[in-house]
Amino acid sequence: MGTMKQAMGPIASARLTLALSSGKLAGRTARALRMGGGTSLPGMVARRIDPLVLRKVIGRTRAAKVIVTGSNGKTTTCRMLAAIAAAGGKGVVQNRTGSNLLQGVTTVAVAGANLRGEMRADLLLFEVDEATVAAAAAEIQPDMILVTNLFRDQLDRYGELYSVAGALERSIRALPETATAILNGDDPMVASFAADASRWLLFGLRTAEVGTAVPEHAADTVRCVRCQHDLDYAKVYISHLGDFRCPNCGYARQPLGVAVTGVRLGLEGTGVTLQTPYGELRFDLGLPGLHNVYNAAAAVAAAQALGLPAEGIPAAMSSLRPAFGRLEPIAAGDRQVLLSFVKNPISYNTTLRTILQRPGPKAILAAESNTVVDGEDFAWLWDVDLEEVAPLIPWMVASGSKAEEVAMRYKYAGVSEDRIEVIPGLAPALDAALARTPPGETLYILASYTPTRELRKIMETRGWVRPFWQE
Amino acid sequence: MNTSIRIGHLYSSLLSVAGDRGNLFALQRRSQWRGIGTEVTEIGVDETPDFTQFDLILFHGGQDKEMDVAARDLGPKAESLRAAVESDVAVLAVCAGYQLLGHYYQPSRGPRFEGIGALDVYTEAGPIRFMNHIAVECEFAQGSRQSLVGFENHSGRTYRGQSVGPLGRVLAGGGNNGEDGTEGAIYRQVYCTYMHGPVLPKNPWFTDHLIRQALRHRYGEASELEPLPAGSEERAHQAALQLAMRSKGKVTAIEATPWRA
Repeated sequence: MGTMKQAMGPIASARLTLALSSGKLAGRTARALRMGGGTSLPGMVARRIDPLVLRKVIGRTRAAKVIVTGSNGKTTTCRMLAAIAAAGGKGVVQNRTGSNLLQGVTTVAVAGANLRGEMRADLLLFEVDEATVAAAAAEIQPDMILVTNLFRDQLDRYGELYSVAGALERSIRALPETATAILNGDDPMVASFAADASRWLLFGLRTAEVGTAVPEHAADTVRCVRCQHDLDYAKVYISHLGDFRCPNCGYARQPLGVAVTGVRLGLEGTGVTLQTPYGELRFDLGLPGLHNVYNAAAAVAAAQALGLPAEGIPAAMSSLRPAFGRLEPIAAGDRQVLLSFVKNPISYNTTLRTILQRPGPKAILAAESNTVVDGEDFAWLWDVDLEEVAPLIPWMVASGSKAEEVAMRYKYAGVSEDRIEVIPGLAPALDAALARTPPGETLYILASYTPTRELRKIMETRGWVRPFWQE
Repeated sequence: MNTSIRIGHLYSSLLSVAGDRGNLFALQRRSQWRGIGTEVTEIGVDETPDFTQFDLILFHGGQDKEMDVAARDLGPKAESLRAAVESDVAVLAVCAGYQLLGHYYQPSRGPRFEGIGALDVYTEAGPIRFMNHIAVECEFAQGSRQSLVGFENHSGRTYRGQSVGPLGRVLAGGGNNGEDGTEGAIYRQVYCTYMHGPVLPKNPWFTDHLIRQALRHRYGEASELEPLPAGSEERAHQAALQLAMRSKGKVTAIEATPWRA
């Protein structure tokens, strides 16, 4: 990539400048017209004009380039890593809003570079959709790929889990020798990618304070990735993540480079103790839920491999607040909204478990819509364990273009139909749900990406929450 | 008399790829709402129950790796499963379950998966994957046409022998092979389909049909089911039917998108 600077002639440079200026203009226009955060439009416009825009900008920077991918936890892990880097005085450029397909990734370059394609940054942080990672890695030539985990996610978009895993494996194998793979050592499939990397670091949990003995129903990879025999677990933390061992071929969890050895789960935050190459680290994470402990372990492992100073980690971790729609508390007048972006059985189940820790009845607004981002096939709703929460639901509103399907799923989980109101429009659904929420009480919103975004936008226009691109 | 049906859920944890356990939930709830009990037995790898003791057997889909495990495990189960089919136990088989009840499934690469040959059908991998909404018209009894809706996600092409009828006629979607306009298979009380969704919740009439067949197997006589009020099932059915008709003629629900070029 280093040769591109010399190789670029005047026409190539002019085309790059035009692509960058047009992309930037598109972003400004989108924001001025309040069309949204402009998180993928600038990249899309710039790529139309110069398909090489991302390669060119990347070729002109000396910053460390990191790709964060996987099924769950990408956005939060990126925020954690960015906070640690910022605490260490590093300049970070990243796509922060879950816009992680190739246009969104290109937007990072468009927004961060000047018109000559130069970027002032020490760390370029790219959150990349797991199905886009092969294409993105070819353009970015990353110094690090971090894989959070692999869950069954939007099967209709990607075909099968194993083909996504195959693409990831090839991307890691294509990394140069100096690059590092940061891998979830508790995920039997993700951990197996270590065999394809020349340098790797595994993160995971090694504590008896949390977890169970048997995987939950929706677990994906409970068979050995090498011989297909059923795996045994000494400990399961989330879904198929845990201390696994194959009784048939002996494939087992490898020693963890970064291991969480202590977890204290609270409603608003989590006490975490880690063993790392830095030595022992302790901090109070400002985010609830065991899934965020995994994200924290991933971010610390990446920080360590990037050589970022450890001193800033505790302050960075305790300063974090829930991201856009990740169990995000929003004050809606005298009612409280807890906005939760759920996109697959695991994130849905994880969110439900966190909600079940809170006392009281669970008034719910559940919304799903069929879109390019959220997919067409909502069969996965039947893999969500709604049966435990169902008796605690006094009433609920089902919304989105898939409102009827959502209502039906909750009905078959045990919520009687007279307690379910079906309102496909998101604004009227929010109004109806808030009207039924008594003052001082909480409305839980569980929604996939598009309805979460739209509901949040509605709450932005009402002044209850800041637009997410300002955060 | 307390009526109940005995359900055998074959490979309940191994083959659970696309929410197919919703089929079990639909059978359980619609039985329960009518005061009919359900006894569910989960059947895993290495287990060889007497399949004729069930009134209804569920055999769902999985990815190729899971299907391989199931195919290699089926040998010791095959004779009892075939006996159950011949004694009119009701069976719902979806995707990989459908393929493994037939003679074989030949994937695009590697050796073929041997089925148990309970049905005269065979399956071979095709070049394109059908991933879309699907709608089918069924006529189980003369003059009673009903629609089935779901989501298909398969590259297998299935071809039926003469003893096996189709589950229905394709209104929109790929179905068995994208060529003969049929979807699924019926043989005795075995109902095979490529439909996920899962298939039963959104097609309550089909759920009820299976409950009736299971009751008939158990008690030896045809019984009418108490009707249930129409609710979100029927509305979800209508919505899915419209979606399927709208995406008719497309192979995938989400056509190739520019960022993946």
